[in-house]
Amino acid sequence: MEDDSRFAEFVAERADALLRYGYVLSGNAHDAADLTQEALIRLHRAWARVRRKDDPESYTRMIMARLHISAWRRRRRERLVRDLPETSHLDTRPSDGEQGLWQALAELPRRQRTVLVLRYYEQLTDSEIASVLRISHGTVRSHASLGLSRLRSTIAHRTFTQRSV
Amino acid sequence: MTRELEDDLHRLLTRAADRAPRAPSGFPARIVTRSRRRRARGRGVLAAAAVVLVVGGIGVTVRDGAGPDTARHPAPSPVPTTSPVPTTTASARPALVERVWPEAVWKIPVKLPGGRKGRPQIFLGDRTLLLETWESHEKADALYAYDLETGEARRITAIRTPKGVFASGYAVGAGRIVWQTIEGGHTRFWSAPVEGGDPVAVATDREVRGRGDELTVVGGRIAFSLLEGGVFTLPLGGGSVEAVPGADRHHILRWPWVGTPGEYTPDGETSFEELLNAETGETSRAVVRPGERDVRCGVTTCTGTSPEGRPFSRLRDGSGERDLPDSTYGLAADRFMTVRLPPPSGGQVLLDLATGRAADLGFRTDAEGRSIHVQPGIGDGRLVSFELDGQYVVIDLARIR
Repeated sequence: MEDDSRFAEFVAERADALLRYGYVLSGNAHDAADLTQEALIRLHRAWARVRRKDDPESYTRMIMARLHISAWRRRRRERLVRDLPETSHLDTRPSDGEQGLWQALAELPRRQRTVLVLRYYEQLTDSEIASVLRISHGTVRSHASLGLSRLRSTIAHRTFTQRSV
Repeated sequence: MTRELEDDLHRLLTRAADRAPRAPSGFPARIVTRSRRRRARGRGVLAAAAVVLVVGGIGVTVRDGAGPDTARHPAPSPVPTTSPVPTTTASARPALVERVWPEAVWKIPVKLPGGRKGRPQIFLGDRTLLLETWESHEKADALYAYDLETGEARRITAIRTPKGVFASGYAVGAGRIVWQTIEGGHTRFWSAPVEGGDPVAVATDREVRGRGDELTVVGGRIAFSLLEGGVFTLPLGGGSVEAVPGADRHHILRWPWVGTPGEYTPDGETSFEELLNAETGETSRAVVRPGERDVRCGVTTCTGTSPEGRPFSRLRDGSGERDLPDSTYGLAADRFMTVRLPPPSGGQVLLDLATGRAADLGFRTDAEGRSIHVQPGIGDGRLVSFELDGQYVVIDLARIR
């Protein structure tokens, strides 16, 4: 509890970055807020240990990834943060092509999506991903390859459908 | 083909992250509160924090306090647009607060005669401080008047509250000290003579449903607002609770100014964006521009972060905008904030927006990385106090000219 001011400083400085990570992991603002809040509460409870031994930010990101692929999310009720007003989205609204890929990503099984986010957003290596998610290297590779091929076929199918309409 | 999809994914995710929600103001404090509440639940203990202060390693005491004479309160900064705000506070450490504002700073012993901690609450007068002793964490069991000139402490009254119920929101006026207790979603008011004597319950014609957030004494009446919204008054001697017209969603900022939303804005809304003068009916709406974040307003001044991430302060009407240093906290009397100093030494300075002067509060991050944190209250916030090296540092913001 003595460390609360350090903890508060960490949250004040890194909360927005963690919310961004939560958003790409989950694909929506509510789950981003829930993931971030839950991970930070767990970080607070482990703060003394984490601050001594680990980097709090990687610890929090690891918790968020693990929470996201666990059953935890379906049980959530507490909500802390809501989406920002629409105005803040205007300059980053996705193009049609991006919208299609974003949609395809939303349809992936959660584990496949998580592996792709860790690879292409967090830019972790497959062995780092294996250790974050506590799965084998081979499983990481198969989630990634299944996820990518599914994205590829969904996009190809959508493009074909749009052209033929 | 594969490479192309992977590049697209990277670009998409990076861009998508910009659509993420932003952390609301007060987010760290709320995480800490929820973590503690969960810990308390885990132990099977009823969590009952009456007042959640920001964070405090060794001790934090920042309370809004109404003095006996509202005329002595710090006036809103007249025109805080002319003096520069030192943006270099992060690198250059200013002189200690007791040297910059010697007329406003006292250091008093942490312990009263008898060995118990007497914790500063509000100013009772120009040289008298109200102290509280605790039976257990934040649970007051007695009040004392402390004379800053002579160092004498005088016991005013004992306070007895049931388990899990806390006295809070001390205010003074008409010769009495007033406070509230919150129990089962209802608020009750109590008072005791400043000169000493037993506390009495302030009788109300109906139950006050809701949790009191701010309390002040105006003439012979108690004025209070509820956490849920709504401003009311009742006679100090007890009687009928009357709603202030047009203030059903409002909170007391600095009497007679009440506003909505209050200081606590769960979704990052502007604090005190709309103000109402409870005595004259005058209203004021703060200028907030699209994309601005964490905007918090006082009676005359607002602070916030621009869409580009630049912290600013300006008047409510949007004029006189100036850059602020990063990591500022609080806004007392429309002019006082604290600014965090960088690690490893850390610490905070007190910044006066009206004059641009700043002073080192004197504490540092200790060897284990712990530090206290001081945040001047958004309303009156006349008293700033914190524990340092076995003493309380007491700052009367009303004495800073």
